[in-house]
Amino acid sequence: MTLFIILAIGAGGLVGLSRQLNGRLALSTNAWESSFWNHIVGLVFVSLIAVIAAGLFTDAPLDAPWWAYLGGPIGVLFIAAGSWAIARIGAAQTAMLIIAGQMISGVILDIGLLTQGQLWARDLGISLILLGIWVTRSQK
Amino acid sequence: MSTDTPPRFIHYLGAFAAGGLITLMLLTNGTLAQYGTLLFSSWVPHFTGTLVALAILLTLRPARASQKPPPKWAYLAGVSGGLTVIATSAAMNSALALSGTIALGLAGQILFSLFADAKGLFGLPKRRPTLRDLLGLALIAAGAIVLIFWCNAT
Repeated sequence: MTLFIILAIGAGGLVGLSRQLNGRLALSTNAWESSFWNHIVGLVFVSLIAVIAAGLFTDAPLDAPWWAYLGGPIGVLFIAAGSWAIARIGAAQTAMLIIAGQMISGVILDIGLLTQGQLWARDLGISLILLGIWVTRSQK
Repeated sequence: MSTDTPPRFIHYLGAFAAGGLITLMLLTNGTLAQYGTLLFSSWVPHFTGTLVALAILLTLRPARASQKPPPKWAYLAGVSGGLTVIATSAAMNSALALSGTIALGLAGQILFSLFADAKGLFGLPKRRPTLRDLLGLALIAAGAIVLIFWCNAT
């Protein structure tokens, strides 16, 4: 269990590491180029893992709805935005705002999809996050 | 190393909006994972993303910010991203489940970012968080925990 806890925390650390490196690359190049390198290097790496693990094309991926294939273009924008923001507002504020945006949009999506959730938890969670953004922003 | 641009509202808004893109990616890539393997759901967006990023570079031809080439290690973010997928999928299939994995992942991300700011890691500007920064961070983390464990938010 300890191993999995370390892996889960480490996965978050790797997200931060990746953003830090992309941000550094964008300082010398630009946000779009850093997003391009992130994707092509990641593609080579994932392809290598796939060759080793031999588990890329199983099941019936072509049955997936067309919009499920839009994650790539969205990711390009996501990496570019992160690389652009991190050099200007820092790693902690970037991480914090991305998490806040992810959580709030997730709740909006849940409401849109009519997903069942605890209403008190939804209200409390969103309130804490908005309060957190306000606390940090109001000092400027 | 520092940038010429002081923090502005648009930078905060950009990072916040990027968080919204994660929700969309969880939807698209999560759906792909239902039809193929988890590796497949990571390979496809990397492949299409590479093509789209290349098209953007060729169309916009954005100028490089500096004459000096970036350090070679700065190109390795994609490896870190690939490892994230593997570590996350391993943790998700343990007793931690999805919510535990996401919560611990957020903790790892926050700890790393505070450390990275304190050290100015990999040549990005060094920053010391104010007390208000830390309070804001704690409130957002608390809100995220409530949503993850009691509202099925991902």
